[in-house]
Amino acid sequence: MNWWDDALHRATAEVVLAGALAGLVGVQVVLRRLSFFTMALTHATFPGVVAASIIGVNILLGGVVAGGIVALGVAALTRRRGQDASAATGVLLSAGFALGAALVATQSGFSRDLSSFLVGSILTVGPQDLVTTAVALAVVAIVLLVSARPLHLIGFDRAGAEAAGVPAARWDLVLLLTIEVVVVTMVPAVGTILAVSLIVAPAAAARLWSDRLLIITPLSVAFAVGSGLAGLWISSRWNVAAGASISLAATAILAVSYLAVGARKLPARRRPPLAAAT
Amino acid sequence: MAALRYAGVSVGYDRTPVLTHVDLELEPGQRLILVGPNGAGKSTLIKSVLGLVPVLAGSATVLGRHPAAARGRAGYVPQIDTLDADFPVSVRQVVMMGRYRSIGWWRPARAADRRAVAEALELVGLADRAAHRFGTLSGGQRQRVLLARAIAAEPRLLLLDEPFNGVDAVSQEAIIRVLRELAAAGTALVLSTHDLTVARELADLVCLINGRQWAVGAPSATLTASRLREAYGGHAVDLPDGSTMLVEP
Repeated sequence: MNWWDDALHRATAEVVLAGALAGLVGVQVVLRRLSFFTMALTHATFPGVVAASIIGVNILLGGVVAGGIVALGVAALTRRRGQDASAATGVLLSAGFALGAALVATQSGFSRDLSSFLVGSILTVGPQDLVTTAVALAVVAIVLLVSARPLHLIGFDRAGAEAAGVPAARWDLVLLLTIEVVVVTMVPAVGTILAVSLIVAPAAAARLWSDRLLIITPLSVAFAVGSGLAGLWISSRWNVAAGASISLAATAILAVSYLAVGARKLPARRRPPLAAAT
Repeated sequence: MAALRYAGVSVGYDRTPVLTHVDLELEPGQRLILVGPNGAGKSTLIKSVLGLVPVLAGSATVLGRHPAAARGRAGYVPQIDTLDADFPVSVRQVVMMGRYRSIGWWRPARAADRRAVAEALELVGLADRAAHRFGTLSGGQRQRVLLARAIAAEPRLLLLDEPFNGVDAVSQEAIIRVLRELAAAGTALVLSTHDLTVARELADLVCLINGRQWAVGAPSATLTASRLREAYGGHAVDLPDGSTMLVEP
């Protein structure tokens, strides 16, 4: 029998790839304080994948389109002075989820698929999903590598970046769309709603352990992959839902990191996400 | 060529002027201090030079070009509280950001870049802090790091937005010394402050603003009691010894 024919083997490969993807982009999400935005993005992705599933097109496409609309909307809102982006993001979050639920309610006999869109269904991951995740990982890694300097400059000193002629809004859009690609790619593994924990928790934990990006980034990837593998093991050992155990494993890593180092060097939180300094 | 030339300029957001009647001419090596109360338009004027706030009326040239076309050519030291102090970046990495314009986004730093960074840190007296995380430094030291970053870019025009806010005396002295050296080497400086002592000490030219330009010229001609009263309105209070105290609104 081919190694890939075993559902657990495919699931293992998928959590490793999805973990690496989440760990990489998670560093940017945490440094730029985009966790809440990412949360909204995951909820807005939900109606996208439901709609795509109803009309019978690729769910990745549906998720990317829906999430892309939210990413563009938030980017436009943060560019307007005096706009409270977090209020708009919060409304988009629940509106997205409501739209998804409404779409689901129009279909009878849809409840099983609904839960897989929400919390993933790692044991039904097929070879096609693995290829998609691998391609997404390669693309996201290249995009983040290529945009590392502008993203760091903008994240650290937005006013200085703009003064230096860096088109900050355009780079922000690159980052927001990259996050969306990651969220959508992770739907088969952990679903739309749980994706945020695998993106944010490992990176937030890694940030507690180091002040250097060259250490934070691989640590974040290692934590995310570790969460995925641990969650999968717990799931198969005790027959717990895989998506949930992966999320809980990531949360546990953050909790342990916080107890180990965080309590004595908790960074001050002063700036809002995507602070549109003017 | 003048580093900066403004003639009858109004600047502002969304077609609403924040600052009007600006007439300035700054030669290489000159130090211009912008003086005015909070909300006078000092930061807006600096941002207009950087091409980030539009010129609504009049004629403005920065290093011989329209401000928008000169974007990225002038050096800029932002107010330190606009930065993310939690960001995991070392002092050396911050100063290296000043070299991005010449290195580009993707090429690795060259020996010349590393040398420029080391020299800039040496100049501001923070060479021994190169490996420290930026956020662990004091306010004054952070300001000096940002000055080093601007110097590493070797600009012909350098703009500093309130560089002495929240800065200790040692750092203030260090910054003033470096600014004098830069000007002596031919860099034109524009600096905003509400500290009249610093303005008197450092300025070749003072531009007194509050919604409009009230005066421009040598410190002795602009920082006078009557001029300050004009610009600051009721916030300028005459003291018994004949000097003027400014009360921030």
